[in-house]
Amino acid sequence: MRMPFSPRRLLGPSIALGLAIAHPAFAHHGWSWTADETSELEGTITKIYVGNPHATLDVDVNGESWRVELAPPSQTMRAGFSEDTAKPGAHVTAIGNRSLDQNERRMKAVRIIIDGKTYDVYPNRVPSN
Amino acid sequence: MEFLGAIEQLAPVRALRVSFYIYPLVNAAHIVAIGCLLTSVILMDLRILGFLASQERRPFLKLMRRIGVRAFCAALITGLLLFSVRASEYVFNPAFQLKLLLIALAGLNLLGLRIFASEQDGMPKERSAGFFAAASMLLWLGVLVCGRFIGFL
Repeated sequence: MRMPFSPRRLLGPSIALGLAIAHPAFAHHGWSWTADETSELEGTITKIYVGNPHATLDVDVNGESWRVELAPPSQTMRAGFSEDTAKPGAHVTAIGNRSLDQNERRMKAVRIIIDGKTYDVYPNRVPSN
Repeated sequence: MEFLGAIEQLAPVRALRVSFYIYPLVNAAHIVAIGCLLTSVILMDLRILGFLASQERRPFLKLMRRIGVRAFCAALITGLLLFSVRASEYVFNPAFQLKLLLIALAGLNLLGLRIFASEQDGMPKERSAGFFAAASMLLWLGVLVCGRFIGFL
């Protein structure tokens, strides 16, 4: 017997609607929201989070607060960086890909350097030069 | 805020924060719960609206309600776990805030259905329950979309 109204018919449009709304805001997950070229960011760490879904640093760059995203916690710790590795106030150089949105102060880092020590959180993405 | 910070410092929460397997599994369980919840809610609402007429109304609505309530409890527990690892940050996330608001509205909507459009035994009335059923579908789909957005803001 054929149903007059299949919920599947409702599911298709709702997924399409969700994707349509979501598209401009894709951030965080993956690299689609980041610039292709890598750049450098230098500043003072104000906050350190090493945990799921991924680790982050809050960095003060000349009075502006930047969010520097690292890898998921296990991968970040494998790179040698844990929550006790550095303290707020430490100087950091972050190398990675900034947000495509110029107004958004957010970078996804592949490498961070603190006190002369280098932590490659995405080793296969570190530019070779 | 202090309360949220205290949650983050609980030993099981700290373990969940850096876990390799548990966090993604809790995440998966949350998705299963939401899948069950949305499915039961939408089927229930469609039946109230008169669709799926091949299903006998009373037992079908009862079954969907039972699944829906349990799925909501599972979604709540797994959701609290996901929230706990970074509670003081998520609480300011606009998508998370809107999601909570929509869940509250869905709760009020359910209450409205029970008070204004249900029989003595709790069964939704044939005619007047339609508005609440339609609102329920929209609200829960909104909850789903907001939840998905939390990681992108």
